Amino acid sequence: MPRVNGPLIVQSDKTLLLEVDHERADDCRRAIAPFAELERAPEHIHTYRVTPLGLWNARAAGHDAEQVVDALVQYSRYPVPHALLVDIADTMDRYGRLTLSKHPAHGLVLTTTDRPVLEEVLKSKRIAPLVGARIDPDSVVVHPSERGQIKQVLLKLGWPAEDLAGYVDGEAHPIELLEDGWALRPYQKQAVENFWHGGSGVVVLPCGAGKTLVGAGSMAQAKSTTLILVTNTVSARQWKHELVKRTSLTEDEIGEYSGTRKEIRPVTIATYQVLTTKRKGVYPHLELFDSRDWGLIVYDEVHLLPAPVFKFTADLQARRRLGLTATLVREDGRESDVFSLIGPKRFDAPWKEIEAQGYIAPADCVEVRVNLTDSERLAYATAETEEKYRFCATTETKRKVTEAIVRRFAGQQILVIGQYIDQLDELGEHLDAPVIKGETSNAQREKLFDAFREGEISVLVVSKVANFSIDLPEATVAVQVSGTFGSRQEEAQRLGRVLRPKADGHQAHFYSVVARDTIDQDFAAHRQRFLAEQGYSYRIVDADEILAEG
Amino acid sequence: MSPEAHSAPRSLAESLRMRDDASLAALLRSRPDLITPVPTDLTQLATRAGTRASVLRALERLDAFALQTAEALAVAPDPASYSTVLGLMAGNTGDETVAAALPRAIGTLREQALVWGDDEQLRLVRTARELLAPSAQHPSPTGLGPTVQEATSGMSPGRIQEIVTAAGLTSTHDSVSAVAALTARFTDRKTMSALLAEAPQASREVLSRLVWGPPYGQVTPDPAAHLRWLLDRGLLLPTAPGTVVLPREVALHLREGLAHRAPEPLPPAVEPAATHAPQVVDATAAGQAYTALATVEDLLKDWDEGGPTVLRAGGLSVRDLKRTAVALDVPEPVAAFWVELAYAAGLLASDGEADERYAATPAYDEWLERPPAERWARLAEAWLTATRTPGLVGGRDAKDRTLSALGPGLDRSAAPEVRHRVLTLLAGLPQGTAPSAESVLARLRWERPLRGQAKDAPRERSRAWGSDGGDDDLRSRLARWTLSEAEQLGITGRGALSAHGRVLLGAPAATPATSAASATSTASATSAGSGIPEPFGAPGASGPGDKLPVHHRPAAPVEPRSPAEQAVATTAAARLLAPLLPEPLDHVLLQADLTAVAPGPLQRPLAAMLDVLADVESKGGATVYRFTPASVRRALDAGRAAADLHAFLTAHSRTPVPQPLAYLIDDVARKHGHLRVGAASAYVRCDDDALLNEILADKRAAALRLRRLAPTVLAAQSDPATLLEGLRAMGCAPAAESAEGDVLITRADAHRTPPRTAPEPVPEGPPPPDGTLLSAAIRAIRAGDLAATAPRKTAGAPLAGGKLPRTSSAETLATVQAAVLTGGSLWIGYVNAEGSASQRVIAPIRVEGGFVTAYDHTADEVRTYPLHRITGVAELADD
Repeated sequence: MPRVNGPLIVQSDKTLLLEVDHERADDCRRAIAPFAELERAPEHIHTYRVTPLGLWNARAAGHDAEQVVDALVQYSRYPVPHALLVDIADTMDRYGRLTLSKHPAHGLVLTTTDRPVLEEVLKSKRIAPLVGARIDPDSVVVHPSERGQIKQVLLKLGWPAEDLAGYVDGEAHPIELLEDGWALRPYQKQAVENFWHGGSGVVVLPCGAGKTLVGAGSMAQAKSTTLILVTNTVSARQWKHELVKRTSLTEDEIGEYSGTRKEIRPVTIATYQVLTTKRKGVYPHLELFDSRDWGLIVYDEVHLLPAPVFKFTADLQARRRLGLTATLVREDGRESDVFSLIGPKRFDAPWKEIEAQGYIAPADCVEVRVNLTDSERLAYATAETEEKYRFCATTETKRKVTEAIVRRFAGQQILVIGQYIDQLDELGEHLDAPVIKGETSNAQREKLFDAFREGEISVLVVSKVANFSIDLPEATVAVQVSGTFGSRQEEAQRLGRVLRPKADGHQAHFYSVVARDTIDQDFAAHRQRFLAEQGYSYRIVDADEILAEG
Repeated sequence: MSPEAHSAPRSLAESLRMRDDASLAALLRSRPDLITPVPTDLTQLATRAGTRASVLRALERLDAFALQTAEALAVAPDPASYSTVLGLMAGNTGDETVAAALPRAIGTLREQALVWGDDEQLRLVRTARELLAPSAQHPSPTGLGPTVQEATSGMSPGRIQEIVTAAGLTSTHDSVSAVAALTARFTDRKTMSALLAEAPQASREVLSRLVWGPPYGQVTPDPAAHLRWLLDRGLLLPTAPGTVVLPREVALHLREGLAHRAPEPLPPAVEPAATHAPQVVDATAAGQAYTALATVEDLLKDWDEGGPTVLRAGGLSVRDLKRTAVALDVPEPVAAFWVELAYAAGLLASDGEADERYAATPAYDEWLERPPAERWARLAEAWLTATRTPGLVGGRDAKDRTLSALGPGLDRSAAPEVRHRVLTLLAGLPQGTAPSAESVLARLRWERPLRGQAKDAPRERSRAWGSDGGDDDLRSRLARWTLSEAEQLGITGRGALSAHGRVLLGAPAATPATSAASATSTASATSAGSGIPEPFGAPGASGPGDKLPVHHRPAAPVEPRSPAEQAVATTAAARLLAPLLPEPLDHVLLQADLTAVAPGPLQRPLAAMLDVLADVESKGGATVYRFTPASVRRALDAGRAAADLHAFLTAHSRTPVPQPLAYLIDDVARKHGHLRVGAASAYVRCDDDALLNEILADKRAAALRLRRLAPTVLAAQSDPATLLEGLRAMGCAPAAESAEGDVLITRADAHRTPPRTAPEPVPEGPPPPDGTLLSAAIRAIRAGDLAATAPRKTAGAPLAGGKLPRTSSAETLATVQAAVLTGGSLWIGYVNAEGSASQRVIAPIRVEGGFVTAYDHTADEVRTYPLHRITGVAELADD
């Protein structure tokens, strides 16, 4: 009688295990994707996690508890514990008990379908300053400026509010996609559609899957002035380049608002850095948000959104917001702020799936373990704790191994990525390759990138400044020699460098050089686990093997 | 119809005598306290049935309607005819349902010997009447006040005449006839209606406030006009200065004859909350049953190497419970449940050592060897019959001590009965139907409205976990716990009773035949809905309005069965459950992220090995293990070689062993044992290898147990002093070395204690007393002497001076009663609740109910003494 044929196993800690080789695995994946976050996707069993945020995301996307419970019960191999189903239903039920909406007379109001809930939240000290007069037993006025704040607080209280207050249209501006010889990929179209239908929210796509185009597509939907927030100037230039190429926008319509230029045009691209610059205790560039009647705000790399930007975003709740990111995981754990201030997840496609569709290239991930020399080991043992990582990450042997790898892939486009400038300079010298680091001017950077793109340079040594948003289509090999501790998100970005489809069909290679028996190895384990969880099989080899081949 | 209808019995004993054997058996079955010890004759049985304790117990076992009927009888005249009772219960309108249910209620009361007499002359047993009749101190649940006669009993004849006159009746000569006239007027509906029609609006409002009770109200010495109107006509009668009461007759008229505002003739139906496919219910329950087994195993495995210590007062400390909850990954109340369950099943106990700890019992090892279904059966049976209630853990007892898991004070004798009853109610629903908890609780409250009421709850500070309604009575809390525990244990699945749960309960297993399911289920649904408490096995044996002789009516609660019967049912349930439990697997899936997923329960040896080799990351239907360097090292420490581990993984993995995992094992194995640690108590070092060779070779060195660690170092198992001596004996000249490696100079420091004070001299006796102390002592001695020599009359045996008087209890009672009459003082010996004896001089005021109320000369206040604690009395001399 027990249905032993389902592909899904529900665990007591609310993780879901999906057996990928099962014949019904695909159906099951589709059924649970709306409410469960894919946590790990190694080769046989994928792990999904059911969290309150995930369930509320599903509610926001129009799914109800019954569908969720049905999906679990239908695909589960073993009976699902009753308590878990009840808990899911209860959690989902919490979303939408409170709604924010526009009242013709009172402006923004918070209404409830369940009076005790409203009573409960109004009792909270943190809600009290955000609301005004009680209109009737079921609704209360909310100060329009606190729309974001109240959503944040309500989420923390466990009663997320559904925001139905709508958006201002913003200043209209004609934007069209120029689909000459290319077209939005199906999943990109789907992402734009889901976002537009949902109003505001986050689109999760792997690096290299064309997030910029999702942004462009959304702008073409909005047809209004747009503010685009990106991580740095290089990224800003690329957005501009891409927009000019893919849409009806011209150079003159797109402004750059960064440390060097302060242009405000119908489409303005600003960096997080300039926004969060603080002078004499104030943020002088905040007026940017009010300088035009923006109809759409695009946040690139939402997972890096700096904390002050959250604060500004809270005041922009009446404008449509699109978040773009490769991962919802934030190293600082502020996922809930992304949910309440930018919006729920509107689209999500895991790497493997897009890779399977041929839009990104598969990669061969290898961890190379190098031994410290005896004298280095002694020095490592006596190093101060805060110096230890630097010490083992920059060991001499790493240089030799890197050289061997570069020799092995001679003729291919190779990126060497590291954290420590001294190490990079030294590598650059030995490999006879240019080094891009923080002090490299933007002009110089772009020149080198172009040369790399054209194939004039085949090896480029980059520091972490190049972690984000640079587009190097022809890199086939990446070698990381050191990193920011165990940052998973950095790993994702770096891997993204080599995942773009290669013109000549070369397989991409991703090497991490790691010092054995040191904290470098521990950090690497953390990062490698992330890779494995993303479904990238990886190998571990000893440095001797590489050196012998080289 | 009933045998007693032919010749009216004159007493309870007589009515019992008229009963047949079956009927008497029914009485004794429902009131087992009557046959312990077995009464000698029916008169004694009747007397015992009329004692306060026994009547109280019987009343507690009544369902709501029978109790209401008894309450109505208590406010009706004694004896009352059936039609009078019907009037009180069904009202003037004659509620059909009530009329239909009343014969059953009366039948119950008769069977329980709470009511006797035929239908024309129903008599409530006097004790019951006293307990249930309204008085100023104990307001009746009916909310009715005293009758006119009772209310006017203390009134002056003049005042009564005034009222009678004001009411428009002719004044009579005596109060008795006046009261009778007034009563007659109040019970005459026509005249009452006419009278009330004239009443001012404000007066009517006053009446409507008092009509459903409490019937008492306050008035000022100079009442307002509308109150005066009521007082004048006797519609309100004064009871004490400033207090008035609404006489029962008037209230009944206003209530349309109803004794209760809301008669509850029918038990509230158990409402279905959700319906699932029976297969889903069974599968869910089976899944949970398996989890239960795994949890108990996890718990005891966790306690394998020394469980938590036993608190001095017994039980598990809060911290240990918390730790266990974390280890089991469940909330604390649930952890308490599992711990208690294992305890109740005899799988865990205290080890009884000096440093007392909890540990698994040998029975646990036997239990482990059984097939899963049998293991479950053992847990389920233990749970069903246990009086220990884990739900109380975390609450507080009467003395405000925390109730701890496995500790004392957790036994509640009602628990098995409530569990059984709740599950039986569930069994009454169609298969796959889950009831709403509230309706189950309402039904239980109806069945036993008095039981457990507020007696336990407030004292236990019901902040115990798991009780969401803090004000619930014990039975409701027990029922709530039952519902959640049954789910934990896999007796119910998704709130509905599973097929194996039904069998466990002894319910007919055959009902579930799927083809007949719909028909049967509707039938049982209706019987559950119409709601006569029915024993299982006899569904629908009685319905509303059936007039079977009393003894054929099914007894309301079915007592849990004998152990043998239960064992049979349990075995049957286990057989039914067995095929539903998942088959243990012999393989896992290994993945490159260094996890292994066991997609189901694992065979025991495999699980045991994986537990060592990897850390459990998540549990549930499957188990996710994670390999870490530490976990691999643990396996190596446990004596496995890297090759064993590779072979083990290859053998049990359904997928190829991922390269990173193989690498991890080799990498850890490479370093494992690289450093070696051992214990030595001394060492020998010497730069000359040859000398060490010589020492090792020497036979005399064998006792020193030397071992060569390095060419120039020997380790010894003997202490440095012995070693030095041994080496010297061998003709060497060793020098001792300090921890820093310096040569130790052997010149001992003189040994000193820490600072100490010199001993105090010990004198022979206490210091000589001073004047003040002496005079105080003498005063005390004289006072004591006076009390001891006060002349007293001796009763019976002569008293040895100063000793407590000893008299037989009959003598005591007689003497005390005499003293009440004469107003004399007595000298008594008294043993208090703690067992310490004292002598007191008292002047008894009242003797009743086994207590003496007396003015205590010793304490100078009025106190009450239980007669049985008085060891003896003696009259004091009159002077």
